[in-house]
This record gives sequence, structure tokens and C-alpha cells, in this order.
Amino acid sequence: MRILIVEDEKALASEIKQFLEKEEYNCDIAHTGNDASELIADNPYDFILLDIGLPDFNGLDLIKEAKEYNSEAYFIVITARGELEDKLKGFDLGADDYLPKPFSLLELLSRIQAITRRKFGQKMSVIEFGDFSLDTMKRYLQFKDHGIDLTKKEYKLLTYLVLNKNRILDRLQLTEHIWGDFFEDDYDSNYIDVHVKNIRKKLSEYDNTNWIKTVRGIGYKFEIE
Amino acid sequence: MKIPNIKLKNQLALFNAASKALIITLLVMIIPWLVSKVSIRDTDDVLIQKLERVIALVDSLGIDSFIDQEADYNTFGSYNILKEEYISIEPVKKDTLIDVIEFSRRIIEDEVVDYRVLSYSIMKDGNNYLIEIGKSISAIYQFEHNLKRFTFIFLIIVIVLSFLLDLSVIQYLLLPFDKIVKKLKLTNHPSSFNYNTVKTSTSDFIYLEDTINSLMRKIEAAFNDEREYISNVSHELLTPVSIIQSKLDNILHEGKLSEQDMIKIVESKKTLRRLTNLIRTLLMMSRIENEEYILTEKVNINNTIKNVIEEIEEKITAKKLELKLELNASEFLIDGNENLLFTLFYNFINNAIRYTENGSVKIETLKIQNQFYVKISDTGIGISPEKLPLIFSRFKNSNETKDSYGLGLALSKKICDYHKISVEVKSEINKGSEFILKFNV
Repeated sequence: MRILIVEDEKALASEIKQFLEKEEYNCDIAHTGNDASELIADNPYDFILLDIGLPDFNGLDLIKEAKEYNSEAYFIVITARGELEDKLKGFDLGADDYLPKPFSLLELLSRIQAITRRKFGQKMSVIEFGDFSLDTMKRYLQFKDHGIDLTKKEYKLLTYLVLNKNRILDRLQLTEHIWGDFFEDDYDSNYIDVHVKNIRKKLSEYDNTNWIKTVRGIGYKFEIE
Repeated sequence: MKIPNIKLKNQLALFNAASKALIITLLVMIIPWLVSKVSIRDTDDVLIQKLERVIALVDSLGIDSFIDQEADYNTFGSYNILKEEYISIEPVKKDTLIDVIEFSRRIIEDEVVDYRVLSYSIMKDGNNYLIEIGKSISAIYQFEHNLKRFTFIFLIIVIVLSFLLDLSVIQYLLLPFDKIVKKLKLTNHPSSFNYNTVKTSTSDFIYLEDTINSLMRKIEAAFNDEREYISNVSHELLTPVSIIQSKLDNILHEGKLSEQDMIKIVESKKTLRRLTNLIRTLLMMSRIENEEYILTEKVNINNTIKNVIEEIEEKITAKKLELKLELNASEFLIDGNENLLFTLFYNFINNAIRYTENGSVKIETLKIQNQFYVKISDTGIGISPEKLPLIFSRFKNSNETKDSYGLGLALSKKICDYHKISVEVKSEINKGSEFILKFNV
């Protein structure tokens, strides 16, 4: 997978690159709209991460331009302005997702993965662990042939944990993924714990394996061989 | 005395009518007076001519043919049958000299008649005689009276007609002015101002409109500057936060840290999130002040409240509170901004949960006489009367024991004002609080 990061803030661009390369994505960086437009013309990208607040280019114009050369590429628009109008405009012009600054890198990764799963359809959207299978697109969990009822948030949480298997997810990352960025003010909340407890209870009715491990003081980890 | 406000066109029409009334009133007074003056003068001329003819007659016929010197009652008098004229001759004392013309009212056969009378003394045959020639002036008075009446009616008609005519002409002339005012009234935001000029040939209106247009351009430019400034400030603040957050994420991602260090990093991320939320709240408040949010979405308030509850239910469950949801108002649709209204209810309900340790949180929607209400009440710690007026101010927390940035309610108040929702708060210490939102539909 090849990703172009269009971000004028050099420190941020290199952090994103470092993170994504560790996840085995190939990354190029463009700090200006002109650089981006040259890179897009020469290389086929799977993803383009685009900060629309570029100094030399209206980021949204860049999408139009890029669509001509890289019609297959997916766009994730990053903005610090967070204006709703921009959000709508971004989607109109073919942006596939939208992230307001600041975002967690894990959240960015999960957006990229979600788009990839959409692209490859059914076969990638079903994840199996033990005798459980989780359909991340249809929001469906079953044990062998038996369907298991989960609430909307429980699905979202379990999917996030499963997709980031064997990785420690801190409570904040989980909260952000489930509740987005409301004007939340309970930073020491343990509402995630309530949901994890419920998921564990529902899974343990079918299988005794402790899939979700608690990482003390930090968060949770979905452990699987 | 307070002068009532009158429209310009009516003022102009009234002023025109009043000035015309003044002129015509003067004419009503002067014309009949002038006409009667002239008529009296003509009458006087006629009387003088008649006197000359009477004197000529007396000279040629002799006084005796008019006055019988021997009779006891020796006067001569002659009236025509309609008593319009009379001539009398009578002897008077020798030293009497009279030559006057005057008004005189005579009663003749029980009838009062106004005369203009010429009295003239004449010496004849050693005796002194007084000749009186009178002419009725009732006709003149009648004419004057009629003239006055007609001019008065004429005055009324002219004033009414001219008032109506003036009114329509002035209204037509002021039409562009009305249009300019209407245009300004329709502008609730500088960016929605219509710069197209109103069609008019009146230079004053063109001048007025040019002035308004240039003023609006200045306002719009200032407004855009302000908007760009806020947007840039938030960008400038959020970008460094974003860099720190990414660095912390990468440190965690490396997975090389000890458990203790990892916890420290997670704590730092929480602090960073607090900062982010603070910036976002301030940004949202500035955007509301700048009226950047459009209020054209049809928002179903019952649904918005349900969405808020869905996001917030963990908090209610975790605190073991009872949630009472009574969404009784049907078709509770509001023109507004769904995001803002979501934030509004989120803040109010979140606060209710936060300050309530046991008991219940109740959310009600009501419709009373076509008026929508949302009531959010709790059985929490309440707000003291002296702190009640401060709860909507920025950074003034009503409860110092909980850590809060005092922005939630200030933002909520702004969202309410922006949507023209009035808020009433009732609270009693240790009994609970009640927030009543009244929607002006």
C-alpha cells in the first residue's frame, strides 16, 4: 500500500510517516501543494492524506486535480479548522473520510483499514478468533452458527480491539473511537470498562478464553496467536 | 408632549395639505370681503347718480311738488314694491348739514331690511331738506354669504383631493426608500446583503444606497477578517497539539517503555485532550458569535435528545441514577443546527448527571399552547441563590470542588441565544436543579 502524506507541518508529517511505515505502508511526504501535485502525477497512490490548510494550495482543489491522475486513490482529509462546511465540501469532492486535528494515529490507521476493507469487500471484513467470527461491516458476531447480540457501542469497541489485536489500546484511544470528540470533560472516566465487562460476559457464555486483557493503568489488549 | 411617530410620506402629505389649507383659508376670508367691498362701492356710485337725478328733478319740478308745506306730516317717501330702494325727502333744521353714506337697518312693514343709505341736505326756497336714498344690500350680503360657503366647500374638496394625490405621489417617490429599508431588514448577516441597487432616479436615494453599500462592504470585510482570524488561531493552536499527540502515539507504539512511563504518557495524552477540548469549545463559541452556523436544518428535538442519551447512558448506568425520559411533545421540529443543539443537550444532561450522586435525571419535552419546552431536572446538589446568576458566565464555576473549565454552560447559553431559546433555571441546594428551555417557534 502506498500512501502520500500532504502536510505542511513537517514534524507532524514525519510522525505520521514513522507510524504508518511501522504498519508496513510505503509513505511519501509532500510539504506543499506543488510537491504533492508533482508526486501525484508521477506515482500511483492507494491513499492520499491531505491537510486542506496548505499555504500554497487550496487542499480541496488538489483533490480535483489528483482525481485525474489517481482515480483509484482514496482521500482522507485532515483539517484543523474543523468547519462543517469544509467537511461537506470534502465529501462532495470525493474525500472518503475526514479527520479533525488533533487525531490519534491509531484512529487514522483504523480509518485507512476501514476503507481498505470496504474496497476488498466481504472476505476481509470477517475476522475470526477461536470459534467466533466477527463481521466488521455487517456488525455481526457469531459463535459457530450461533448469533450473539451486542449493542452498537459493544460492536464498535470489540471491532476496534480485534482489528488492533495484540496491541495495547489506552482508554483515551478507545473513548475517542467510540464517542468521537464531544466536549467531553470526564477524562478519568471508566465508562469503557463497563462496556469491556459486558463484552467479556457475553463472550464467556460461549467460550472461556480471556481474549481481552486488562493493561493496568492504561487500557486493554486483544490477545490472539 | 410626545409626538407620535408618523411615516415620512404621511408627514409630507399632511404638511402639503396644511399649507394648502392655510392659503385657501386666507382666500376664504379675503375674497368675500373684497367682493363685498367692491359691491358696496358700486352701490355708493349708483346712490350718488340717483341723488343727482333727484336733485335735478327737485330743481325742475320744485320742492312743492314733493312736499306739501301745509300738511302736518310733510315728508315725501317713495318705495318700490319689493322695498329694494326708497327715496325720502323731509325738512330739517336750517343749520343741519349732512352728506354721508352709511349702513342702516330699517323695519318696513314688519320686515327688517339692510340698506345702504345716502343722506344729503339741500337748501331749497330758504328751507333745509334732507334727501335720503336707500338701496337694499341684502343681495350683497347674500352673495357674500354664498361665496363664503362655496369657497369653504371648495377648500375641503381641494384639501382632500390634494392630500390623496400628494400621498400617492409621495408614496411613489418614496418607493425606492422603502425598498432600501426592506433590503436592510432582510439582511441578518453581512454576507447575505444584496448589493444590487434599487432602481431610482432620485439622487438622494442613490447617495443613501451608495453609502449603505460601502458601509456594508466594510462590515463584511471586517467580519471576514475576524472569521479568518479565529480560523487561523485555532489552526495555529491545534497544529502543535496535533504534533505532540502524534509524538506521544508513536512513543506508545514503539512499545519500549516501562509500564510506569507508559502510564505517564497516557496521562499526558489526557491533559492534551483537555487542552484540545478547551480550544474547540472556545472556537465554537467564537463561531456562534460570528454567526457562522446556519440554522436551516429541520431538527427533531426528541430525536436529538435520544441521540444524546445514547451517547451518555454509560454515565447514568455507572452512577446508578434513574433516567426518566418523557418526550411528550409530538412533531417537535426546530429550524436550527443539529450539531449545536446536540452539544446543547449534551451539556445540560451531562451537567445534570455530573452534579447528581443519587436519585434521578429527568428529561421532558412538552408542548403547551403551541410553545415547545424542554425540561431537564435532577435531584443533585443544586446551585445556591448567590451563584445562580453566574452559572452562564465563562470560567466561573458554580461548584469549585469538581474540576471543570466553566465553559460548558457558557457555550450552552450561547447556543440557546443563537437559536432564540430562553432558559430558566430553578434550583435548591441539596434538592436539585431544573433547567427549562423555551423554544420560540
